Order: sequence, then C-alpha cells, then structure tokens
Amino acid sequence: MISIHSKKGFDLPITGSPLPETSSRETPAFVALLPEKMPFVKPRLKIKEGHQVQVGSVIFEDKRNPAIQFLSPGGGMVQEIAFGPRRVIKKVVIKLDAEEGRVAFSRFTDSQLEDASRASLVEAILKGGLWCLFRELPFGDIPDPETAPPSIIITLDSREPFQPHPAVYLEGKEDLLAAGMKILEKLSAAVHVSIHKESDMPTGLSDGLVTHRVSGPYPAGDGGVLLYRTKKAPEENRAWCIRGQDLLLLAELIKTGRYPVERTVALGGSLAREQLHVSTRLGAPLPYIAGEDTGNPPRSRYIVGGIFRGYTAEKDSFLDLYATSLTILPEGDKKELFGFARPGLDKPTRSRTFLSSLSKAPFTVDCGLHGEQRACINCGYCDDVCAVDILPQFALKSVLADEVEESLAHGLLDCVSCGLCTFVCPSKIDICAVLKGAKADYYEEIR
Amino acid sequence: MKFIADIFDKSRPLFEKDGKLAKWHPLFEATESFFFIPGLTTRADAHVRDSLDVKRFMSFVILALIPPFLFGLYNAGYQSNLATGASLELLPVILKGILIVLPLVIVSYGVGFLWEILFAVIRKHPISEGFLVTGLLFPLTLPPTMPLWQAAVGISFGVVIGKEVFGGTGRNILNPALTGRAFLFFAYPAKMSGDTVWAVVDGAKTGAVDAFSGATPLAIAGLVNIQEKIEAVLQAADYPFVKLLLGLYPGSIGATSALLCFAGAAVLVVVGIASYRVIVGGVLGVLATGYLLNFFAADTSSAWLSLNPFYHLVMGGFAFGIAYMATDPVTAPGMEKAKWVYGFFIGMLTVLIRVFNPAYPEGIMLAILFMNLFSPLLDHIEIRLKIKKRVINV
Repeated sequence: MISIHSKKGFDLPITGSPLPETSSRETPAFVALLPEKMPFVKPRLKIKEGHQVQVGSVIFEDKRNPAIQFLSPGGGMVQEIAFGPRRVIKKVVIKLDAEEGRVAFSRFTDSQLEDASRASLVEAILKGGLWCLFRELPFGDIPDPETAPPSIIITLDSREPFQPHPAVYLEGKEDLLAAGMKILEKLSAAVHVSIHKESDMPTGLSDGLVTHRVSGPYPAGDGGVLLYRTKKAPEENRAWCIRGQDLLLLAELIKTGRYPVERTVALGGSLAREQLHVSTRLGAPLPYIAGEDTGNPPRSRYIVGGIFRGYTAEKDSFLDLYATSLTILPEGDKKELFGFARPGLDKPTRSRTFLSSLSKAPFTVDCGLHGEQRACINCGYCDDVCAVDILPQFALKSVLADEVEESLAHGLLDCVSCGLCTFVCPSKIDICAVLKGAKADYYEEIR
Repeated sequence: MKFIADIFDKSRPLFEKDGKLAKWHPLFEATESFFFIPGLTTRADAHVRDSLDVKRFMSFVILALIPPFLFGLYNAGYQSNLATGASLELLPVILKGILIVLPLVIVSYGVGFLWEILFAVIRKHPISEGFLVTGLLFPLTLPPTMPLWQAAVGISFGVVIGKEVFGGTGRNILNPALTGRAFLFFAYPAKMSGDTVWAVVDGAKTGAVDAFSGATPLAIAGLVNIQEKIEAVLQAADYPFVKLLLGLYPGSIGATSALLCFAGAAVLVVVGIASYRVIVGGVLGVLATGYLLNFFAADTSSAWLSLNPFYHLVMGGFAFGIAYMATDPVTAPGMEKAKWVYGFFIGMLTVLIRVFNPAYPEGIMLAILFMNLFSPLLDHIEIRLKIKKRVINV
C-alpha cells in the first residue's frame, strides 16, 4: 500500500453531519432520470410519455455514441418528460407499478468472471446501462469503451461534506467490492483503490484491496488529486475514475444480471429533518429522501452532491444517477448590520480574522456570500488550499485574458473542481466556476 | 437597526436601474455595505463561502494601523510643543496632535473618496475597500507640516494615477499611498525634506525655536563626518537606540515608532492578512546588507558603512514601510519564494539608498516602489520554474 499525503486543502467542520446509520425509505411512487445532469451527453429519447417500461428498459441513449445507454431505474409508466430552456431534457418521470418488471441482463459467475474477455465485460456493462459510471479525467466525460485507460482509480471517500461514509455503504458488501475490482482489472492494466487515512472502513474489508492510503484535508480523497500526486508521465492523464458506491452497482449488475436500483444517500445539513444515511432508490424524489413535503423547510436550499461541488436542486426534483448526497442548508439571505466589524464567534472561516478560529467547534453554515464581489487582491488564499497547485489566482487571470496556453501550462486540466478556491476567496470571485467553464470550453474545442 | 435598514430599502429604488439617481448606485452600494453585509447568496458552486470578505480584510489593516496612528498623533503634538516650548503634558500634546494630524487625515479621506466615487460612477464599478487603507496610510507617511492643499494634490495623484487609471483596487501596479507620497516628494521637495518640516512650529515663544533641532535621525546620520561613529553622534543628539525604537522623535507622522509598526506587522501576520515572507525577508535584507557593508568599512570610508545594521531597522520609515506598504497584497508578488526575494530586495535597496545616495536621506519609499515594478517579473520567474516541474496535461 502506498501512502500519499496531500498537504493543501481544507476541512470545513460543519454541523449537520450524517450519522453513520442507515434508514430505509419505503418505495416511492415515482422515480426519474435526469438527462440534463449527464456530463456532455446529447440524449436521444427512446420512449414517449405513456409508454410502459421495466427496470432496465432503455430510456435514452447518447447521440455521440449510441452504445452508451441510460436505463430506467423503475418499472411502470412514463408519466412525464419535462423539457427546459432550449429543449434540454430535464427529467423523465416514471410512475412505479406495484409489481415492477425487470429486464434480464447477462450475468457472470465467479469462474466466468475469471475467464471473461475485456470485450464481453465491456459489452455487458454497456448493455446494462452502467458504462456512464466511469468518468474519464480530466474532463469528467464518459469514456470511449474502445479505449483502454492507463489506470482506473476507485475513490471510496472524497470526504466532501457530505458524502456517504464508506463504513456505511460498504457494510456487508465487501464481496461485491472485490468482484468489482476483478471486473476493473479486466478493463485496465492498473487499478488503484484509494481510501482516506481517517475514513471509517467496514471491518470485513480486506486490506489487500486498497492500493493507496491518502491523508490530508479535503480534497485529498479525490481521484484527480491521487493522479496528480502519483503520475509520472503525460500518458497517465486520461485515467478513469469510479466511485466506490458506483463500483458496487457495476458489480451487482455483472454478478446478478439485474439492473441495480439501490442507492445510499448521505442526508445532512443543519435544516435536514434528520442527519443520517438513507437507503433509497436511484432516481427517488428529493423531498421523499429528505422526509419532507415539497418546498419545505422555507428559505432553505437543497444541495445535491456536496456543499462544495454540488448543484442547487429544485425542491420537487429527483436524485440524478450520480448523486449520493443531499444537503439542506439555510439560504443565508439575511442582511447583517456592521457584519465586517463583528467579533464573529460563530462565523465559518478558514482565516484567522474571526474569533471562531480559536475554537474547534463545528460551524453552522449557510449559502450566503458573506460579502460582495470585488476585484482580485492577489491575497493568495486560493493557492493555499489548491491541492493540485494550479495557482488559481494566476490561472483565473489567464483564463479571463483568453490565454488558453498559459492556463493549460498552469495545470488547468489537473483542476479537480473541489470548489475550495471559491470558498476561501475574500473577493467572492467564482474562481472554480470560471476554471470549470474554461475546461469545458477547451474540451468542446479539442474533441 | 431596523430603521437603518428601512432607510436603505426606501431609497433603493432611486438608485436602481431606472431610478433618478441610478448613476450614483456605487455610492449607495458603498454606503449600504458599510452598514450591512448584504444578504447575497451563492449562485455557482461552492455553495458555502468563507465569512471573510475584502471589507474585513482591509479593516484588519486599519486596526493594525491604529497604534502607529495614535502614537503619531501624540508625537506630532509632542514635537510641536517641544519646538515651541509649550506644555509637554499629555493633554495639551494630544490636543495639539489632533489639530495637526486630523486635518491631514480628513483631507486624505475626503479628497481620495471624491476621486473614488467619481471613478466608480463613471467606470461603473463598486467602490473598493482598498481605499480605506490608502486613505489612512497616506497621511501617516507625511511630515506633520504638510500644507493641506499639497496633501490633497498628493492623494489625488496617488488615487488617480497610482490606482484608478489601471482599473481600481486590485489592478494597480504601484502602492497608491506611496505613489502619492513620491509625487509630493519630487514635486514639493521643500515641504518633504529638510530639518524644518518635521515639527509644526507656530506661535513660538522666542528662543525656544532656536534651541530645537528638527532634524531627523537619518538627516543627522547623513551629515556625520568620516571617522566619526553614527551611533555616537546620534547618542550625542539625544537619539539613542531605544528612543529610535520607541519613536518619540521628529519624522513622518506615523512612521517613527518602529516598535509599534513591528507590533502591527505581527498582528497582521498572526491573522493571516500580511505575508510574513515579505516582512522577514525585508528585515533580513536590511541586516544582510548592513553587515555586508560593515565588512567593507574602513577608517577612511563613509560613516554609514560601519553603522550597526539594527539602526537601519529603527531609523526612518523602514518599519512602517515594510509592515504596511510592502505587504500590500495587490502590489507584492503572489508567489511564496518571490515574496522572500521581494522583501529582501526592499530591505537591501533601503540600506543602499541611505548609504550610497546622499540626495535621499530615506530609501524605503523608493525601494518599495521600485520593487512594486519588479513583482510581476518575480512572479513570472517563479511560475515558470514551477510549471516546468509539472507533468504536462493538455
């Protein structure tokens, strides 16, 4: 096992962390697929409103590569296909039947798995609709099934507030993880499994599985950071990443021949009714995961995917295919009199300019900007927390000046979009969003 | 509290897009944001943000400037009363200090803000908090006798040419306060140097003025003959090391007390606002250069060469400059090693100018401005070296 220390980064201690216990929810009435949330995918629908579908029926495919399909997480009737601006497909809602039909996929026994060829496994994963769980660095697109990646990185815990604890979602599924590893070994010559030194792991997990033990503050557990710390040559840049929980889905598909629909979601945040792990379905409605009525609690924000990288979800929306986290925080849109001159006993901060920096107590955070946007004053705080050393303040300026070459030289493509540069910026500049946008633009040009 | 919020809420429509006073929106915004952190929320990712904003950032610099400011106020009054033979008790001295210093501060803030508002309104950018610091730094670098109109011209030059023509706070390449001071230094040298500008002398009792020497320690040291020791001459002029450290001597208003300046620097470093690299680098630069010159000192060489380098730290404006001016993040380099080099060269140049350039008794102002120009280059070099080590990813 290789130990890797990533010094830069920041752990924000906040209240509302999910307890390491799981609560199961009853089957919801509806589930949905959100084509809008699939990275770079150009969806072509294969069904219409009113069609009957089974668990595992094709709902849409990627026009860029029709072999990449997205399957139904539920059996029942297609209730609604909702479009957004410019005909973007926002969601495909499926009303579940009491008895859901299931599409059968090819399954592999242990011995078959040993002898399986790469091609047969790739085909099984494509047919089973889970190829999209692989994400290719550096852009996060779904990889081309024909290419062999330099390595596949499995991240068990990114330690972003809040993602499910490995100890919770891996509990009792250690075999599946091992089977998943077997599958990946067929797909790539090198498979790296990273866990964080401080992560709780299930006791049944054999140590031999783990190849890299990372330490350091968030985002040390990220696959991109691991690659940045370990890579020796440019050929290694196009590694694939898959998260621990997604690997379990993949293994379940291959082992059982059924499209897996179970998801463990970390439910947290100061306004969540309860803070724990929820065992639910892929594509479940968000209010149902939160245990709330739609629109509650007022002046709150539903964040899907962690407080640094996630997106704001409408309160009647659904869990997207990748989502494993729902955090409910106050909007924080209250004005504060003489806010800049207060001692700040409870103000969340990385700096030492508030009294709260003297205590170790977790902060109660909200989604307020806590200031106004100003020009960059070159304070360098963003560089202090950048785990991949891209010098965000300089990279930002080269992006804004359209100096593509310069920003690439800074390592723009190594950016893991951890969001910390934006978090610490006293000028309240959306640095991470600018870098992410530049990266996506560049991808549009080269592919 | 509620009623303040109501005032703003009521007058807001006037300043919004189609309102009568829409032009003055930056002014409204600046005033409102002085009272309230507006309840803006995050739009893009990183839903949660640090509570530190630029206003708080700059407030800490002002907080750290308060001790030198108050001491400068006292010292200006003290030197003035000493020169005129008036009472040296606390209260009269402070009153005198207020009369001398406050008008300068008010002029600096007033005129500077006028320019800020003008540019903000025309260029349609928010009024940045950076000026809060500039507006206080600038008068503290002036002699107490500075005519107010000259101070107004100086701050105008600093704000307009030093900052606004580049696009405002964050885009300037030179420290605005020092740019203003440099302008005055070259435009009105008679009011910026010499032995008579460092104490306000008015309504003096006869005789008292003649007995008072308004020369600064640096000026005295500049006149020391070969084969004399500067330390001894300063001692004889009643400027022992401890007095230089504490700061009760004629000089620029806020810059005489090295002790308070270094204390302010320590506060800024502890809260993470100022870079210790620049400050420590600067001190090392002074000491290294000082000791190096000691090494070349001979009986026939200038007395400056043999001066104990620690005197350089406490004389003149070095401490003030390195603590508050050199650490301005906008004009200092952003890279860590570059900051060391930047600080070191400021220290070195300060000593070199003092020792080898008799036209300028003080070197810190020019050293900082000179290194301001070099900070992009220093950054550039370090970034190139750093990028070379990366595994290419395109």
